[in-house]
Formats: sequence, C-alpha cells, structure tokens
Amino acid sequence: MIDVEALVLREARLLDEQRYPEWLELFAADAIYWIPTRPNQASPQEALSIIYEPRPLLAVRVERLARAEMHVQSPPSRTVHHVSAVEVDGDQVRSALIVAEWRAGEARWFAGRVTHRVRKEANGLRIVLKRVDLIDGEAPHRAIAVPL
Amino acid sequence: MHTVAESLVRENSVHRDAYTDPAIFQLEQQRIFRRAWLYVAHESEVQKPGDYVLTRLGPDEVILARREDGALSLLHNRCAHRGARVVAEPAGNARQLRCPYHAWSYRLDGSLIGVPLSEGYAPECKLKGLAAVPRVESYKGFVFASHSAAGPSLHDFLGGLRSAFDNLVDRAPAGSISRFGGSLRLEYRGNWKMFLENAVDLVHPGFVHRSSVEAARSHPEALHADAITQQGAQMFLANGMRATQWDEVPLHAFPGGHVYMGGFYKQGVIAPERDDPVFARYRKALVERHGEEKAAAVLAVDRFNNIIWPNISVNARFGAMRVVRPLAVDHTVVDVVCFRLDGAPAEMHDLTLQFVNLAASPASLVASDDLEIFERCQRGLASSGNEWIDMRRGVLADRRAADGSIVSAGTSELPIRHQFETWKAWMSA
Repeated sequence: MIDVEALVLREARLLDEQRYPEWLELFAADAIYWIPTRPNQASPQEALSIIYEPRPLLAVRVERLARAEMHVQSPPSRTVHHVSAVEVDGDQVRSALIVAEWRAGEARWFAGRVTHRVRKEANGLRIVLKRVDLIDGEAPHRAIAVPL
Repeated sequence: MHTVAESLVRENSVHRDAYTDPAIFQLEQQRIFRRAWLYVAHESEVQKPGDYVLTRLGPDEVILARREDGALSLLHNRCAHRGARVVAEPAGNARQLRCPYHAWSYRLDGSLIGVPLSEGYAPECKLKGLAAVPRVESYKGFVFASHSAAGPSLHDFLGGLRSAFDNLVDRAPAGSISRFGGSLRLEYRGNWKMFLENAVDLVHPGFVHRSSVEAARSHPEALHADAITQQGAQMFLANGMRATQWDEVPLHAFPGGHVYMGGFYKQGVIAPERDDPVFARYRKALVERHGEEKAAAVLAVDRFNNIIWPNISVNARFGAMRVVRPLAVDHTVVDVVCFRLDGAPAEMHDLTLQFVNLAASPASLVASDDLEIFERCQRGLASSGNEWIDMRRGVLADRRAADGSIVSAGTSELPIRHQFETWKAWMSA
C-alpha cells in the first residue's frame, strides 16, 4: 500500500522535474493515459477526450518533449503537481490533483481527480491506467504541452 | 487608429491593425458577425419537440429550440423583463421557458405566456416576448442564422462550399448525420482570423509541426502498434511532406471568402479509401444507398479543410467541424465538434473521435504548436516597426478556373489574400 502511494507521488515528481523518459517507464506496455472531456465519461467511444493515448503513442509524446523545435515548450513550463487525498483500494488509487504551471510569463492552474490503476510486474509496480478528470474538461483550454 | 477599415487591406498586404486594433474588432462584430450567416448548431441536437440548446450567434447568446410544430426557433437568451438569462443549462427539453427572476414565462416560439401580477399593468400595456433572431435557415441539417433581416440567402452565401456539407451528408449510408461526442474547446490569446488562415496555410506544417514529425520518425514501431497509435503516427508523419509535395495539394478559393484545400493523407487508416473489413462494410452500405458510381464519386472527394467564411472549418472526410468564436481582438475560442455518419459501422465513429482527439485537442501534439504560434503572432504584431504584412507568397501560381473559383498551388498564400478581399468588402459596406 505504501509502495502504491509512493508510485503515484513519484510519478508526479518526475513530471515536475521534466524527467519524461523516466516518467514513461512507470507505465506498463499496455497502459492508457486518459483525460476525458466529460465528468464520469464511461469510455473514449462516448465522447471526445483531451488525451486518450496508449503507451506507444505516449512514447511519441515524450519523444516530442525532448525536441528543441517543440515551440509550445520554448521556453519550457515549470510545474508543481500537488497530489493529495490519496486513497488506495486494491489495484486502484484515487487522488486529488492541482497542477500549477508557469510558462512564458504567465501562470495557470488545472484541478481534478485522478485515478491510477496499477499492476505488479517483474520489474516492480507499473501504471496500467492514469485517468485525470479535470473539473473543467469541457471548458476551453489553451495549449496543454506537459502531461497533467 | 485607422477609422476606415478598407484602408488596412492592400492588394498584397494587410496592416497589422487588422489583427490588433480593438476598434477594428468592434467594427468586425458589427459588420461581419451581426450581418453574415453564422453557424449556430446542428438539427440533430434538437430532434424532439421541446429540445433546446444554448449557442452563440456572433456576440450574442441564443437558444435554439424545436417547437411543437417541428419548426426551429432561435431566441435571444435574455428575459424581456429585467434582462436575466432565461436558460442556464447548455441543453435540455422544456415545454416552456421560465425566467428565474420574476417568473415571466415564454413559449418556445418566444411569445409571452404570462407574467405574475399582470393585473398591476395598465390594460394597454403590451409586454414583449423573447426577441427572435430575424433569419434562421438550415442547409442539410446545419443551422445558420443572421442578425440581419436583409442580405443574401443562406444558399447563395454558402455558394461554392455548399459542397462541403453535401459531401459530408453524402458519406452517410442512412442519408443523415448526427452530432455526437460533445466537443473539444481550444482557447488562444490571438486574433480569430489567424486560425482560419492557418488551417489552409500549407507551408507551416513543415516548420510548426516539425517536433511531432521527428518524434514519429524516431518511433517507426508506432506504425505497427495499436490502431490509435497507428492513426496518430500516420497523421504526424503526413505533416513532414516536402514543399514540392505540398504544392501538389490544390487550394480552391470561391466567391464569398470560402476556401478549401485538397487532401494530403494518402496511406494507412487515414487514406481516402482503405483496405480493411470495417471500411469494406461501410463502402457496401454506401453503395446500397447511392449505387456504385455515386458512392465511388462521394468517396473520391478528397479534401481536408473547407473554410466557410467567416468562421467555420469543415473536414467532411473525418466528420469534424471547428467553429471559431472571436471574444476580443486578441482572444479566441474554437469549438471542435464531430458528426456520426448515420448507418455507418460504429468503428468509423471511433475513428472520428480519435482523429479529432489527435488533431484538434488543446493537448494535441499538432494543434498545441499552432496555438503557440497564434499567441506569438499576436504578441509580435503588437510591436510597431513593420506595419504592413506581406501576403504575396505563391501569387504567380493563382489561376481562375471555369467555375469562377481561383485555384493555386498548395504553398500559395491565396487563402489569406482571398479572405482579406472578402473581409474588406464586408468591412467597407
């Protein structure tokens, strides 16, 4: 149980430290990273998603974050992923998330509930699903460049 | 400030004030967004009597409602009494609309049903209902409206790009389409026109989207991964074409400011005709509707963005539409919506959702860099020093076609020249 919470906290810190390849390693080969638009959205077939990416596509996203010509990260963001209210329930972890982001002279915030599903694999605990339910998933958003 | 908008557009250049001056923005709101036909919603959103949706018509919030007699109403969302918004939910079904403030109630045609304490008004007092928008018309299920009682018909306004809606509906084996999947909404601190210019600017992908092209190139295994990843990798890689290949993507400009660009997805799941069981089922259903010859013709229409002036972009092949909503001279929201081809296999609809997620989300590996560039342009244009923006790229390639359209090579700035010629005409008169 402590391992599971530590995984969720480490995941958030790796994003804040911009250690994206290491962040990607926390995800299982069949993992999904999902930010739906609707509260309680049952599936990616029900509605559009801000992100619905299997790990191979997430790998392309992470690869792009290393590219100098990723204009929307020039200059890069600085973020704090504030994770709280962590509840572990079997292979599922629920938490509250607030992300503060500073970039190019401006600050902004995201808030939502996060669900992780994890699995014990040969090389340790891995994330099978990370789902971020923003409080304003259906609202207009400026470019989102860094994973939430 | 230039008080005369037309002086901002020359044959081959435009003044930066067209993007930055708040007074020009106000004039655009009056002369374009209070007069032109603007898209408000799709009929499938208000199918049953009593169904309503909140939407916008230029600067105003309006209610689109289906009345008992089946007709559509488009009403200002503003109580005729004290001005409160009558409807607050984005969509619903109701027999009547009642203001929460003093309970004035209205029929779905806007007429007043009653007011409390009506005996306190003099008998000759004639109280008003909800104000109706003067002109509302549908084209193939797409509802447009105009704040102006006079002007061209919707049919004439859409002109050469009615074809974009025709093709989208023709692609549905059941002969109709339905809005589904909610929406993705983008926001940027930049002028609204930038989005529509960029959507048919075929030189930018090689530079703006280079990071996603290179990221996909360095992950060749993505082309053999799951279906979503394959679709993403194919899309990212397609933006990496050489300038000579982009030149082969035709641009067509039509009277009224409308422009479309040809398709450029040639391979894989994003190609116009695919070789897989889902597409085979879909094609069979389409042939049952249209016959082989017409079905083939419908599927052969290979276009990417169709820009219907002033503010929508339709992608018929992928069942997607973007509605650009100007909020201020330097602030824009874009609503991205999609349509189900009625009668097509469900897997086709999944592909549509995935396409829109990948191409148009604020977190898209593609669109996020576009949004960044719009904001950089806006910040750059706020600086003086080079007042006139050149738009001559590719002008030597422009050719007038037999149908009255102007055709040019993919790398031409024809769309920007054409959109500003139309802008100038609306802003001057």
